[in-house]
Amino acid sequence: MTDTSKDLPEASERRLEEIEHGLFTSDLSVNEFLLVKEAGYHPLGLVMGSSIYHTGIQTRKWGESQELTKLTEAMYNARELAMTRMEEEASELGADGVVGVRLDVNYYEWGKDAAEFIAVGTAVKAEDGVSRRNTLGKPFTSDLSGQDFWTLLRTGYLPQGLVMGTCVYHIAHRGLGQTLATTGQNVELPNFTQALYEARELAMTRMQDEASQLGAAGVVGARLEEKTHQWGSHTIEFLALGTAVTRTTEEITLTSPVTIISLDH
Amino acid sequence: MSTPPPPAHHSAPDDLRAAVREALASPATTATHASRSGLTSDLTIDETLILHSVEWVPRDLVIGLSVQSVPSAIWSWGSGEIELASRAHARAFEHAIARLHAEAVAVGAHGVVGVHVERRILASHIEVELIGTAVAPADASAAGGTKVFISDLPARDFALLLMAGWRPVALAVGASFTYAPRRAVGAALRQQTQNVELTNYTAALYTARSTAMERMQRAALDAHGTGIVDVTITEGPLHFAAHAIGFTAWGTVVAPAASSRTIDPLTVVSLDDAVSSFDVAPLA
Repeated sequence: MTDTSKDLPEASERRLEEIEHGLFTSDLSVNEFLLVKEAGYHPLGLVMGSSIYHTGIQTRKWGESQELTKLTEAMYNARELAMTRMEEEASELGADGVVGVRLDVNYYEWGKDAAEFIAVGTAVKAEDGVSRRNTLGKPFTSDLSGQDFWTLLRTGYLPQGLVMGTCVYHIAHRGLGQTLATTGQNVELPNFTQALYEARELAMTRMQDEASQLGAAGVVGARLEEKTHQWGSHTIEFLALGTAVTRTTEEITLTSPVTIISLDH
Repeated sequence: MSTPPPPAHHSAPDDLRAAVREALASPATTATHASRSGLTSDLTIDETLILHSVEWVPRDLVIGLSVQSVPSAIWSWGSGEIELASRAHARAFEHAIARLHAEAVAVGAHGVVGVHVERRILASHIEVELIGTAVAPADASAAGGTKVFISDLPARDFALLLMAGWRPVALAVGASFTYAPRRAVGAALRQQTQNVELTNYTAALYTARSTAMERMQRAALDAHGTGIVDVTITEGPLHFAAHAIGFTAWGTVVAPAASSRTIDPLTVVSLDDAVSSFDVAPLA
């Protein structure tokens, strides 16, 4: 359908052709499936992108807090590759967007320093035939569940894209002198505090930059994950993820929600 | 149930083998007690009620089981797909589903819902166990003639599907096992300090994934479904074989029912306590 498919492995194209014959696949639950249908979208197929990536080595200074740019770059690149491949699969299906995107990292025994980055989601298409692609003309991506997607559309917003920011940061060890000086005291450890602050800020800012590139009005469902992967305790990846959204032009009247007290435990 | 089963023979292994052989030969005969008034099911009270609300009733708990042996040497060396393993996996599911189907037919059910898929992949065998509740319309003539369906959706999802004008058709499974390619020592050394994509691994995983998904889709098309929902994907390394990758996917095939209906969702705010917590990884 589009020429972007050149990058896709041959095997996946065959699978996608089959989907075009009318069968859809989706890892959406029944609730989500029905809500997506109710919102006026039809699921087209499960789309995936993955990349096995070897991360390089960067020396860290024992007593210095710093961003490890090479590792940050690796995390960015690998995720971008996975995400782009997923988007390409979605374009191939003629989708307007991808909902319920999950980003995962797998480690294999045989791949030392290598990790598999995966993006999986369900490609959807608007049933009224009006394109809902984002400002860049690509299918939108979103990590919102079917329920959240339905609610978001109800409130007059459209997802634009899954945005992320990452920062791999090395946090300085404390010197022996420092440790001894604070033994037995209540005291803030400013170097740790500062390092964590800076790393988080970097990740969040990068995510917001991605969102403004998409011309988004905001980012919903943003969350911050901290992972050490396989780098030992003082090197942490801060990953900020969220869905960038824009307002639709349609006039929306919000229905007031019904309050319930559930009797479950 | 009314009477406990007779105690098993512990004495001679011959008896045990005979008993197993007998059970394997006629998996459906265990279900003949359906004519009695009692019924077993693993549905919760809520699920039973919701099933009744769409005018279906549980009939019995049904089981399908299959163990396929695989030569344990196949996992370590080779290239491309591990076809023996993929085939054994497909056969294990096929047999388990056929037995589940036979048991469901024997109790006069029209389908099986809430099927738990228990699967174990070991170096020497692949084991599949399916347990679910056989269900039938309360008015037996209502859905007469349709094929018996099998679905891993819980009873509430089944009821929701019916209410929304869809029906489950079958359980579709696809699997593919493949060898992870080995990197040349030279390449590995050269790339030691670099950020680089390992394209041969990526391609191998893609093939495994696409093959498995394609098999699942083929099964769905054969069952005349329009789609597969709630696909469960398991992928990743096999713990007993460092150089094998497994990718499996299964889900319930659905098709639109004769009468089309729509749902009308309601936005509710639950007043239950929401507990949110976060923890920061400790610094060593």
